[in-house]
Amino acid sequence: MPAIRNQIRELRATREMTQQELADRVGVTRQTVIAIEQDKYSPSLETAFKVALVLGVPLERCFQYDPHGKR
Amino acid sequence: MATGLSYREKSLYASLTAELLVYGPYFFLHRQNSLNKVAGMIVAIIVLQIILQSVIAAFTRNRVTDERDRLIELRGYRAGYLTLVSLMVLGLGMLWFHVAVGHLPLDSRMVGLHFLSVFFGMLVLADITKTATQIVAYRKAL
Repeated sequence: MPAIRNQIRELRATREMTQQELADRVGVTRQTVIAIEQDKYSPSLETAFKVALVLGVPLERCFQYDPHGKR
Repeated sequence: MATGLSYREKSLYASLTAELLVYGPYFFLHRQNSLNKVAGMIVAIIVLQIILQSVIAAFTRNRVTDERDRLIELRGYRAGYLTLVSLMVLGLGMLWFHVAVGHLPLDSRMVGLHFLSVFFGMLVLADITKTATQIVAYRKAL
């Protein structure tokens, strides 16, 4: 399991938001949203806060840290 | 899942294509190198890059770059730098060896051109390594 996991895909789906829409509102590329959702890329703190802000949830609802996960 | 190609990724594929198209024939087909050929190659790569990058920019609506692009770019530059340094050390070691055993007469007229070609080749290999590393990073998602 990766060290930083996220629920972006689920949160996005409940809001009927596409990857492109989220990417545009956060200011990243759609490929970056895909990489984050697949747990292949851990975003910067600033981008993580922006994602949480756009999805309207606290940061810890979007991202979770597992100290035993792979970095 | 089909992820498509970002603007930066398309641009990298174009760069790699241009590099292989121009540098490949120079290093593998031409035996007699000259200053004119090196200059011609530099002009060719610049012209080809301008054409390819213009076409990609014209046909790509979303040209956003972000923190992941910058991180991948840095990884590419690190790989390119390490390649260049390694080749330089190897090249200087080989130069020292050949001079020491007398295989390379330093007063030869062709020595300068030979060095130019070898060091230019190192720069080319480092550049190709940089671009290829960035493409691999994009394909692995990072």
